Amino acid sequence: MIISAYQTHIFILIFIYIILAVSLNLALGYTGLLNLGHVAFYGIGAYTSALLAIEGMPYLAAMIIAGLFASVFGYLLVTATDRLKGDYLAMATLGFSFVVYSLLLNLREITRGAMGIPGIPKPSILGLTVRTNDQYLIFVLLICAISVFIMYRIVKSPFGKLLEANRDNAVCLRVLGKNTFGLKYKAMMISAFFAGISGSLYAHYITFIDPTSFYISELILILTIVIVGGLASIKGSIVATAVIIYVPEILRTLDLPSSVLGPVRQALYAAILIAILMLRPRGIFGKVDLE
Amino acid sequence: MILSCKDIYKSFGGIKAIDGCSFTVAEKKITGIIGPNGSGKTTMFNVISKLIKPDSGTIEFKGQDVTGLKDYELAKMGVSRTFQDVKLFQNLTIREHLQIAMSDTDEKLLSNIFRGKEGDAQKIKEVMELVGLDKPLDTYGNDLSYGQRKLLDLAIAIAKPHTLLMLDEPVAGVNPRLRDSIKDILRELNSRGESILLIEHDMNFVMDLVDHIFVMDAGKVIAEGAPEEIQNNPCVLEAYLGGSEEGTKCL
Amino acid sequence: MSLLAQSIINGLITGSIYALVAAGYSLIYSTNNFMHFAHGISVVAAGYMVYWLFTLAGTPFYVTCIITVILSALFGLAMYRLIYLPLQRKGASNVILLIASIGILTFFQNVIQIAFGSGVKLIGYIEVAKGITFAGITMTLLQIVILVISFIIFIMLYQFMQRTKLGRNMRAVSNNKELASIVGINHIRVSDFSFLIGSGLAGVAGILVALEQNLSPLMGTNLMIKGFTGAVIGGINYVPGSIVGSFLLGLAENLGILVLPSGYKDAIAFSMLFLFLLFKPNGILGKKEGRFDK
Repeated sequence: MIISAYQTHIFILIFIYIILAVSLNLALGYTGLLNLGHVAFYGIGAYTSALLAIEGMPYLAAMIIAGLFASVFGYLLVTATDRLKGDYLAMATLGFSFVVYSLLLNLREITRGAMGIPGIPKPSILGLTVRTNDQYLIFVLLICAISVFIMYRIVKSPFGKLLEANRDNAVCLRVLGKNTFGLKYKAMMISAFFAGISGSLYAHYITFIDPTSFYISELILILTIVIVGGLASIKGSIVATAVIIYVPEILRTLDLPSSVLGPVRQALYAAILIAILMLRPRGIFGKVDLE
Repeated sequence: MILSCKDIYKSFGGIKAIDGCSFTVAEKKITGIIGPNGSGKTTMFNVISKLIKPDSGTIEFKGQDVTGLKDYELAKMGVSRTFQDVKLFQNLTIREHLQIAMSDTDEKLLSNIFRGKEGDAQKIKEVMELVGLDKPLDTYGNDLSYGQRKLLDLAIAIAKPHTLLMLDEPVAGVNPRLRDSIKDILRELNSRGESILLIEHDMNFVMDLVDHIFVMDAGKVIAEGAPEEIQNNPCVLEAYLGGSEEGTKCL
Repeated sequence: MSLLAQSIINGLITGSIYALVAAGYSLIYSTNNFMHFAHGISVVAAGYMVYWLFTLAGTPFYVTCIITVILSALFGLAMYRLIYLPLQRKGASNVILLIASIGILTFFQNVIQIAFGSGVKLIGYIEVAKGITFAGITMTLLQIVILVISFIIFIMLYQFMQRTKLGRNMRAVSNNKELASIVGINHIRVSDFSFLIGSGLAGVAGILVALEQNLSPLMGTNLMIKGFTGAVIGGINYVPGSIVGSFLLGLAENLGILVLPSGYKDAIAFSMLFLFLLFKPNGILGKKEGRFDK
């Protein structure tokens, strides 16, 4: 491999977050679903996949079930919040992620609570085990490419145009004979499915998960990525993921103690988020406003 | 009879917007609903197209009771409508608007993913020519003027498969030249056998266009008939010039 | 029986802290109509201010309290003037303001963590351990102080809202912004004061939290969710409602763990938040029609 072990690690994270960010953009940017609960789907996917794989399920099956399980929650969330709009919808979806977080923390018999789940096996597909990080990078790149390709096809298809139409004017779309509730739940399920997949990739890469990985600081990170890249822009989300995950790594050259490095990075993400909202709310490649 | 509404009632927090309204729309005719501002015309339109649930009353479309249907289900059965306050889809192109209106398969997710763009270029061209919207198909909704949006709204209502076309003040706020061309478009559509129901605030616009008129005031139909009958009806003038008490007596 | 009574007392004490958070939050919400989620960090910042001034620098306690409340109020005003108002002037939607406020919360949470470390901090002012037992119910002196102070503040707040011109203007803006501006009420000035007073209340809450619990940088999110939940239960745009709602939340949490494991305290609160937002977004005492169709 031509890149250092550390860079391999960063690239793996970038590809995982690309899936996560693009899937959030599908719901938030393309469909106009104000979902601040995306991080919960990510967590549900990570836990489902980890627990199933520990029980001995083959990795691919565990990963896909993780995605499907997350998308079931996506369906439930859309059904429950269908009547809400604007910041109330945003708060309800945020509340949903708090509920999931507190369940991960308290269903100790299943999730081991705050102790987290250690020893998550590395993926093994058709007898081949992904052992080294270099191999994992290739694996993650492959899954990322497939996921982004599928989401790209969806948003460019006539179905994707309906999603955008729903964001722009749902009433007008309904009098054209389209079931906008159907569109919303399909979009949310796809979005949650890929969030679940990326959660699975994360869990089996880090091999240890606990509830704090799926809480507000993660939410801030992916919101920052999507808003910096621009709503309704897959290209924007990809570029922004790479930049926002990679650039703070420069902080490592400052030789800060590791207990300070984490908070500095988090504060930086939050500062970028506020700055982009104030200076360029449409992000780098976005053409749509967040309403 | 393509559409019939019977005894529709609707109040908003104690205010009776629709107060026992009944009327019918004949097939292949242009029917107009006129009435002063606040007489409940647009509310009635919203009730018919299911955007608002009536408190009571029944609606039949093509002989079927559609009272309990959802807005998009009725639209699928063949009701097209436009809006007085057109917003459309700001971030979609004209072509995409028309494709959405024409397609009946775009809601299917899986069959859509690996299929290219669809849309009948010929049909799009026809509709654009019919309404006379002279703009490149790649123009975004955001970049259209008010008049152009009015035309695009009309175009998507026409392009959508339908048997009844409902137009909410098609010429409100448009310039006289566009007004005349919209009138021509409607005549042309009618000559092709379309059934049209339109709301208009402006009496002059409808008089030489429609076959039958219903006059609404205070949520009720106060008069109906051919345009020339309506023109000479004292109740209608009352309703327009105020003193609607006289008007309600005429029912 | 005494277990039940003890739970009720505990519920009232927890509730009074939630209510202080909620009262300020809902005062700001009712006049500004957006979710100032960063309110939680005002509380935590105040707690750390007490730790810094009193425990580290040795400032007299009452002086510390006065400085803390003043600085909290100014901190809130600064957030409004430097972040929210410029965003509003650019036409930002409520959702943007909400996201920005979550950003502010996270930002300062991490700044506090960088400055003070992630470990918990103790103030050590009043002898907390010494409890007074009466009819089988144990309360510490501090808890009694918390209850008394919060009740005094709620009464003062109510009097302020009802009796003073500024309070009446605030209620006018919260009832109808357009009408208020027609009759010549400057809503930015009203917003300034709502942030000053609301964040000042957060300062009081922060002092009490600092005395009652251990301080940690990440407690802001949790406190904010609890205060917000209390506000939603009672009626987010109605200050007395959100105070009542917060007491109900405190009671629900403490009665709930009589039947559930104690770790479920947060789960109870989060679930109540979610359910109220879905089914009763105006809360039980809220005034306005729901914001389903904003």
